[in-house]
Amino acid sequence: MTYPYIFLLVVTGGIVPLFLLHHFRLMRLSGVAGIGTGCFIGFVCSLTDLLANTARTMSWEWLGLLPLSFRIDILSAFFLIPIFLIGLAATLYSYHYLDDKDKRIRVSVHYFFLSLLIISMALVVMADSMISFVLSWEIMSVASAALILYNYDEKANRRAAYRYFIFSQGGGLFVIAAFGLLFNNSGDFSLVAAEGLPQGTRLVIFLLALIGFGSKAGIMPLHAWLPYAHPAAPSHVSALMSGVMIKIGIYGILRMYLCLSPDANTVGPLLIILGAVSGTLGVVYALGQHDLKRLLAYHSVENIGIILIGIGVGILGIAAQRPFIALFGLTGGLLHVWNHALFKSLLFMGAGNVLHAAGTVNINRLGGLMKNMQNTGILFLVGSLAICGLPPFNGFISEFFIYIAGFNGAGAGLDPMPFLYIILAVLSLAVIGGLAVACFTKVVGVVFLGEPRTNAAGSAHESGWAMIMPMICIGITCLAIGLFPGFFSMPAVTVSRSIIGQGAPDIMAILSFCRSISLGGAGFLLFLGLLICMHRLFYRNKQVAYAPTWGCGFTRPTAKMQYTSTSFGRSIVQFYQPVTQVTEEYKEIKSLFPSPSAYRSHMVDRMDDWGDRYVGSSVEGLCKRLRFIQHGFIQFYIAYIVIAVIVLLLYQLVR
Amino acid sequence: MMKQFSGAVLLYCTALVLAPFFMGVILKVKAFFGGKKGPSLAIRYQTLAKLLRKGSVYSRSTTFIFKLGPLVSLAASLTGLAFLPVAGQNPVFSFQGDIVFIWYLFGLARFFTVTAALDTASPFEGMGAAREVFFGFLAEATIFLVFLQFALLSGQYSLASFLAGSKAINISSQAGFLLVLIIPAIFFVMLTENARVPVDDPATHLELTMIHEVMILDHSGPDLAIIEAGVFARMLFYATFIANLLLPRGYGLGTQILLFSLLVLLLYIGIGVLESITARLKMDQVPKFILTSFALAFFAIILSLEVTP
Repeated sequence: MTYPYIFLLVVTGGIVPLFLLHHFRLMRLSGVAGIGTGCFIGFVCSLTDLLANTARTMSWEWLGLLPLSFRIDILSAFFLIPIFLIGLAATLYSYHYLDDKDKRIRVSVHYFFLSLLIISMALVVMADSMISFVLSWEIMSVASAALILYNYDEKANRRAAYRYFIFSQGGGLFVIAAFGLLFNNSGDFSLVAAEGLPQGTRLVIFLLALIGFGSKAGIMPLHAWLPYAHPAAPSHVSALMSGVMIKIGIYGILRMYLCLSPDANTVGPLLIILGAVSGTLGVVYALGQHDLKRLLAYHSVENIGIILIGIGVGILGIAAQRPFIALFGLTGGLLHVWNHALFKSLLFMGAGNVLHAAGTVNINRLGGLMKNMQNTGILFLVGSLAICGLPPFNGFISEFFIYIAGFNGAGAGLDPMPFLYIILAVLSLAVIGGLAVACFTKVVGVVFLGEPRTNAAGSAHESGWAMIMPMICIGITCLAIGLFPGFFSMPAVTVSRSIIGQGAPDIMAILSFCRSISLGGAGFLLFLGLLICMHRLFYRNKQVAYAPTWGCGFTRPTAKMQYTSTSFGRSIVQFYQPVTQVTEEYKEIKSLFPSPSAYRSHMVDRMDDWGDRYVGSSVEGLCKRLRFIQHGFIQFYIAYIVIAVIVLLLYQLVR
Repeated sequence: MMKQFSGAVLLYCTALVLAPFFMGVILKVKAFFGGKKGPSLAIRYQTLAKLLRKGSVYSRSTTFIFKLGPLVSLAASLTGLAFLPVAGQNPVFSFQGDIVFIWYLFGLARFFTVTAALDTASPFEGMGAAREVFFGFLAEATIFLVFLQFALLSGQYSLASFLAGSKAINISSQAGFLLVLIIPAIFFVMLTENARVPVDDPATHLELTMIHEVMILDHSGPDLAIIEAGVFARMLFYATFIANLLLPRGYGLGTQILLFSLLVLLLYIGIGVLESITARLKMDQVPKFILTSFALAFFAIILSLEVTP
């Protein structure tokens, strides 16, 4: 049992910095060394567990009544891998990212909560009983909220953390409600396959859990904390939260599905619809953002959508008794969990480098960073290609599997209703893919290419090695998964086979597709290599001159005339008019001697807006009316508790 | 086996070599409608040769992306064409799901074309780039709907199984009447993806109104030649796709190839005629044009729900 020691190591890495406040470098080193080593060993252990494919349990009975028990099966091991891997990368990254000596107190506190976050995430996926699950879940929520508060001196960040706290606690309540209902019906705290529940109850419990876990995962109407929390958190924390923590929500949904096995005919379509909405609107809202980290946060919503579509198609396949569809859908969704963890953390780290170098992540104030920050630029490009799902990178592989499930479903003579859901899934994927290309050409083009729009962007510098190294490793992994999908998708295949259970197709079904993609990707790279050689040949002994960009007759262009993030995404955002809305402030140029003019635009996230307006305000009104309960007299609070206990005891007696 | 493969490679190479010729046909037709004699049919070869002989002027704003753009674009077109059956014969490569792979490669090409345009810091090129990604994603939705339809009809999902062999989807096959809706849909997508009238006018003079041409304003010399070659190959890809759907089956190989070339030629002439007699749409009408193709494909799917067993 190595995991307790790993956790001990990680916690030590979190606690030691608290005592080294006066040795700033040593403090960071100790934090990075402790947490990093722990994550690395954890990664190796979970990898062996994943490959061994056996379930292991461990439990502590010292709470007597409420046993804390943990169990590692293949699904847990599958989710442990990104937790430790991205945890390691994020910790390494933090060494150069947090180099402001004046903030040493909060840096040390940050390491404490970072270690807590990594451990609690690992404990959540290892939890075997409701008690240990909820306990770890709450530690995870609190630790991540504390990490968002890193830059607490700005009001917007405090509000973001507050907002996140409301969502995670509200979501937590739904999870507890689901567990309570399950406990009430099954009579024990176990999370392994519940038996003897009526179908309706199963569905209700699953839906409650879906709301709870969905608020953590950022499924569309419940995503409203992500776009605030990620810009507020330090970049490597965003990477960890967006890359890994929101996937814990997906883990919860899968675990509850396995535990309850609710009606697949309802759950499959529901997940596909939720995924299609989250995916499409996530990327549309991303397109309207000016803040790079906020844009990436919306892309997390999009990718959660893709994962849900995959899992939904898989469950639809289970419902229709088409194991082939089920296998490809589930594998696609699960592999996307890994893939998104990789490229999203790469992108957030890239955004962190930009923030570190240019002092801003406002896309419209950047430009031309590729010239001064070539390493960051190329790595960000790799991440962008991967997140757009373009071959030969990893994002393509998982989307390809989901497509295969969809096309197979189209050709397999399904009933009309499942077929319509398949159409919805495939079309959403196609639209999401196209829009993601729009969004990331915008980011790469406006941030890294062209001319710098401000002096700060022009004088940006490359980041330290501790920030670049983890990014290089992640970037190479993205390419490796894209080129050798057979090897890397094996674990996802095994997990989905275990979810499908009896009658799951052989592993070879997927391997042959993987071989084809590898060959196709190699063919494309071969063509590209040949063309690059020919390109060299064409330019041998040729005259090559350098000049300003041709201005179509205009001879005095300025950097301000370039297309901006706003203008680039404008027409697509307008195309989605009812769900998006652009508000503008424009001071026109009027008289002969005009005063300075300005233009400001802001895109309203209608989902968020509606949520605030209808749900948020009514809840707030209710809470205001109930405020008389909260008067601050402790003796009354104690009285509440006593009364509650008495009422519960009486209820037991009467029953 | 070996013979079949070498035959496929031969067809592939012939198609590639002929691509510039077909593009010249469009110019000839347009000249005819304008009452002019027009350039020779070999004009596109001459353009390519001329561009390849030249050197280049690079903008000081650009980075390596600017040079990589044309190369990725052409490589994607060449790879895509290798998966496409020519004249109803088996293609060079094929695997189940290659449709997704090819269209995502085209997506990769679009990514690099667009970023190469943004690399120049020119506001005009940015404008073209923004339009390209907008119209591109709409066209992608149509094409995937068409593929769903084909998968429904054939039970398979590779270009070869759609278009080659005895069970190919064809206008004369049992579900052929659906193609009456689908072929126009693909035709509209072809016009969009290849920047032809009425979506984009390759012969226009005003940068403000361009889409594809404005994105490549700063490319010159061999770089421009590579872009042009990629455009020719992409155009031929779509024309071949449609011609395969129309091609009458059951003749000998020679007749089939001849008929096929005729069909492709007719398609290019059709484009030339269309460009001569219609004007380009206003920019805000273009999404409606592309969505029309989506609606056509969608109707076809609804109809086919009744047809399939």
